[in-house]
Amino acid sequence: MVGLIITAHGRLAEALLDTATQIAGPLERVVTCNIAPGTSPEALRERLHHAIQEVGQGEGVLILADLFGGTPCRESLLLSGPQPVEVVAGVNLPMVLKAASLRHEVRALPELAEALVVHGQRHIQAASALLRAAQEKDRP
Amino acid sequence: MINLLRVDNRLIHGQVVESWLPTLKVRRVLVADDEAAGSALVRAAMGLAVPPTIDVVIEPLEVMDFPRLASDGVSSLLLVREVAGVSRAFARGVGVVPIQLGNIHFATGRRQATPSVFLSPEELEALKMLHAQGCPVEVRAVPSEKPLSLQELVRRLPPG
Repeated sequence: MVGLIITAHGRLAEALLDTATQIAGPLERVVTCNIAPGTSPEALRERLHHAIQEVGQGEGVLILADLFGGTPCRESLLLSGPQPVEVVAGVNLPMVLKAASLRHEVRALPELAEALVVHGQRHIQAASALLRAAQEKDRP
Repeated sequence: MINLLRVDNRLIHGQVVESWLPTLKVRRVLVADDEAAGSALVRAAMGLAVPPTIDVVIEPLEVMDFPRLASDGVSSLLLVREVAGVSRAFARGVGVVPIQLGNIHFATGRRQATPSVFLSPEELEALKMLHAQGCPVEVRAVPSEKPLSLQELVRRLPPG
């Protein structure tokens, strides 16, 4: 099974995982790596290396980072090691939920990453506009 | 023209891209750092993080042509990793520029001045010298924060 790492600033990674767990139940092979104001890139790099060892089983690891260009994303992109690693930036809750389930079906990392990007983006909706459109259609 | 010289252990990252670039409205980001310059992967990753309308130049500290870049009329944010980089840039002709301490992490010998900035006595001395040469010095991680002056910094880090 593909391992999962959520890496973000502050408590975002933990919060995303906690919330996903509340919704979908305990998730296997997921760890979080956070970066605080005082954390050096080197310290984060080490945490990411440990995380990969923890959740990687040889099938590779998918890393979901918060901000493209942020330190968690950049440090993830620069990781090298025996296990394949794929990084997706702009993680949101729908993406975390989908990642947990989809990795059982899609094992090729680049494919999995692409599917999650699409899924994450699709779940960003102007909800009120959708509702208005649906109500319009319903009008006799 | 170098609008700001920022010391940031993380170089180009979230705070810089999302907060400082929109505030400073510079046309170019300069990164004077050997490690970043030495890795094609790091250069690519950092370049991608910055909006395409802003130029990114990543070169080693001893290679970057500071006098030329400071006088070519292109508004720039100059990033170095450590206070030592500021001293080197100054020695190599960057001229009088505003110096900002953004993120300097803990290392042996450094004491905490703010949540994001740790300094050693030697680094503080170097900053005092640069200030004496005319460079304003402030500590500020993000634009909305109240800047800390060099005077306040010295007060927070008494010798001994």
